[in-house]
Amino acid sequence: MTAMKRRRFLKIMGWSTAGLTVALGGCVGLRGLPVLPYRGDPSDEDAALWLSLRPEGYVEMVLPRAEIGQGITISMRQIVAEELGIGLDKVHAIMARTDRLPPVRATVGSDSIKDYGQPLARAAAALRESLLRRAVSLSGFGAKRLALSPTGVRVNGRRTIPFAELAVPPLLLAPEDVARARPRALDSSLKKRYVGRPLATDGIDAMVAGGAALFADDIQLPGMLHGAVIRPPRLGATLIDVDDKQCRSLVGYAGLVRSDGLVGLLASGRAALDRAREVLVTRWKGEPVGDQRIERAINVDAGLAIGALEHVEKEADIHPDLPFDIDLRLEVPMAAHASMEPRTAVARFHSSGPIRLELWTGSQDPSFVHRALSKRFDLPDDAVLVHNMRVGGGFGGKALCIVELEAAILAWHAGKPVKVQWTRAEEFQEGYHRPPSSHRIRARLTDDGGIDTWWHACRSGHSIFTSAALGPTLQFVTSFVADPGVTRGARPPYAVTRQRIEFEDVRLPVDTGPWRGLGAAANGWATETAIDALARQTGEDPLQFRRRAIAASRPRLRRVLDRLAAAANWPRRGTNNRGHGVACGIYKDMSYAATIAEVEPIKGGSYRVSRLWAAHDCGLLINPDRVRAQVEGNLIWGIGMALHETLEVADGRLNADQFGDYAIPAFSDVPEMEIVLVDEGDSPTGAGETVIICAAAAITNAITALTGQPVTRLPVEI
Amino acid sequence: MQFMLNGKTVDIPKARGGDPLLWTLREHFLLTGPRFGCGGGICGACTVLIGGEAVRSCVTETLDVAGSQVTTLEGLKTDKTTPHPVQSAWIAERVPQCGYCQNGQVMTAVALLTREPNASDERIAEVMDTVLCRCGTQQRIRKAIRRARKAMRGDRS
Repeated sequence: MTAMKRRRFLKIMGWSTAGLTVALGGCVGLRGLPVLPYRGDPSDEDAALWLSLRPEGYVEMVLPRAEIGQGITISMRQIVAEELGIGLDKVHAIMARTDRLPPVRATVGSDSIKDYGQPLARAAAALRESLLRRAVSLSGFGAKRLALSPTGVRVNGRRTIPFAELAVPPLLLAPEDVARARPRALDSSLKKRYVGRPLATDGIDAMVAGGAALFADDIQLPGMLHGAVIRPPRLGATLIDVDDKQCRSLVGYAGLVRSDGLVGLLASGRAALDRAREVLVTRWKGEPVGDQRIERAINVDAGLAIGALEHVEKEADIHPDLPFDIDLRLEVPMAAHASMEPRTAVARFHSSGPIRLELWTGSQDPSFVHRALSKRFDLPDDAVLVHNMRVGGGFGGKALCIVELEAAILAWHAGKPVKVQWTRAEEFQEGYHRPPSSHRIRARLTDDGGIDTWWHACRSGHSIFTSAALGPTLQFVTSFVADPGVTRGARPPYAVTRQRIEFEDVRLPVDTGPWRGLGAAANGWATETAIDALARQTGEDPLQFRRRAIAASRPRLRRVLDRLAAAANWPRRGTNNRGHGVACGIYKDMSYAATIAEVEPIKGGSYRVSRLWAAHDCGLLINPDRVRAQVEGNLIWGIGMALHETLEVADGRLNADQFGDYAIPAFSDVPEMEIVLVDEGDSPTGAGETVIICAAAAITNAITALTGQPVTRLPVEI
Repeated sequence: MQFMLNGKTVDIPKARGGDPLLWTLREHFLLTGPRFGCGGGICGACTVLIGGEAVRSCVTETLDVAGSQVTTLEGLKTDKTTPHPVQSAWIAERVPQCGYCQNGQVMTAVALLTREPNASDERIAEVMDTVLCRCGTQQRIRKAIRRARKAMRGDRS
């Protein structure tokens, strides 16, 4: 592949901005390139394929995003129904399948409505025009006498041509029509029927009453086996030998698979599989990995001591011996996604027919799964069919192709369909986790209580450039490029005279990768902890300090802070032995949040969050209730992040194998939460990860209000 | 050996007596209600009712339900059509996000409110603390249970 073709290929894939074009200059040929996730924005050609009118008389949308609990399905149905002016019940969504959906970017980064809402609305608008044009030709009446109704096209205000009739022959959308379309669904100045309605998530009936296949584990195929990959007992251990003699007498045992550096077990059912796992004999070798190795690797002060950190995001010459008003070292540990659904996939090879490999999964990136499997099994794109199911919690953890590859390899060797569902222990031991990070923030005030100098240095494990996805070549290559996930949210939204932001992402002996909010979660906590410390120096109310310090270019952040202050009746005084803390932030320059936490001390020296308030602005609300739910979820993640959650390496393993070892917030941990949604008609953005950037800090700032000491290490130890 | 499954008498498949009930229900009876979350009886995603009591099917042997009445999510509706007050409350409060844990939440709430119709908020918290949700639907679960408690008390008059 010539250098020019390589750059263009990477540009299409959207990777050129990550600097990889330079780094991969040495790769030989297309085959030498590893599989990269698709990163492009949706085109009109893409959007034209998302919607079709079915002969059964409804509009079918192939969902161009993954439903991970954020409610994107119902929200997109609302957009389509709005644009078409038809009943919501006439818009059906099917989950992504790669024979119907052109490649789409992973559902990550809270960008689904922001980047897919408009193209979807334009596709729906183009479909409306197509429908009306067909109705013109069927009815003989001009467009002025026709109107879309909930059940078809109404002619002359009297009879209705039903959708079923309009659907035959198939109505195809032309990309030019999509490009030309002028949608109304996202126009905040117009009154709307569906957009703006607080509806429950799609599929709620099946979630509370059963009766439908929702998740990958619900797929049952004739002759299907259950498979499991044999896991090392310690990080980095390699297999010496395996003996399944004891398994062979077990009912339902279906054999061992050795392939691709993977050893797997097969059985006719999960119970038989678990029994086989218990009696399988394995021997391993390898030195145990210690926690100290990780601590040393990310120690920010050690990094600073030998000079500037590798990537300087914002350059300013700040002498380390300046008299700083605050000088904080802050630590954030590893954390798990802990989704309730373990990673699951079902793979089936067909011996005949156009589809050779069919796979079901619950993935945030079915397009990448498709591409990775096509390459791995050397099959043309249209011979591999990936069906995406609902995802039982993603949070960044289901964006690769791991369990899918395991299922496919086992199915290939078994000659039968194979389902792989990770155990909870595998989720903790084999999954990648939020990287640990250490931060040094130094800042100086101006004479009038503003921020003169701001210096944030951070060392962190990898986020986007997760070792779980990148083989040694790409790990080497990306070591020259700043991991964009790690730096996310590092720029404070405040007016600062001089700021220096420097980062280093470090390869760790344990897999780390994207977690909710990516670096913005840790950077948001660190920033808001430091801002709070600055405010305490001035003696000013921390909310007022922030309000004054917010950069003039960030009025929406000031507005969200004001709405929060009003809703929470800030400042809250006179409440017995309760501390109050505030924090705010901007996620990816697109969504704005502010949070207030109330904490009370509990027995044993820890704290309980007794109340939470949040204000959130993501522009035009397609479905305010789904956004509200995301704010609730982020607040609860903030509780876990601040108070309970940590993953460490101990005795060469992650120190959790079960939920009992890793404390996610439970029912009693969740206080009353009051949420204000701000919608002043700005362009719609996202809510999936906004509030986590300030939720944990509001809680730790509330603790500091009681103790007078900043919380410098998460989680707050008992 | 037999048991009642959602109102119907069924046979315990021969080879599955020693298997966790969860797998018998999902793999043999092809039910999707009870789900696998942890395999250790901790998260509650696998919850079914046995004789009206909430039981974790991932740590219950299939043989143990011989002669019992087992109800799964699929069997909650009265006459197969009328939603249980807990199900209606869940829909009214728009509880689920990803939906994966909701079987455990609903079944546990049904058992609690059926057996303890006057359960206090503290008792509700004590019980619901044992059913995990990662998406963060707890506030809505609380509201839905209060709503269902009210409805179920009303129905008893």
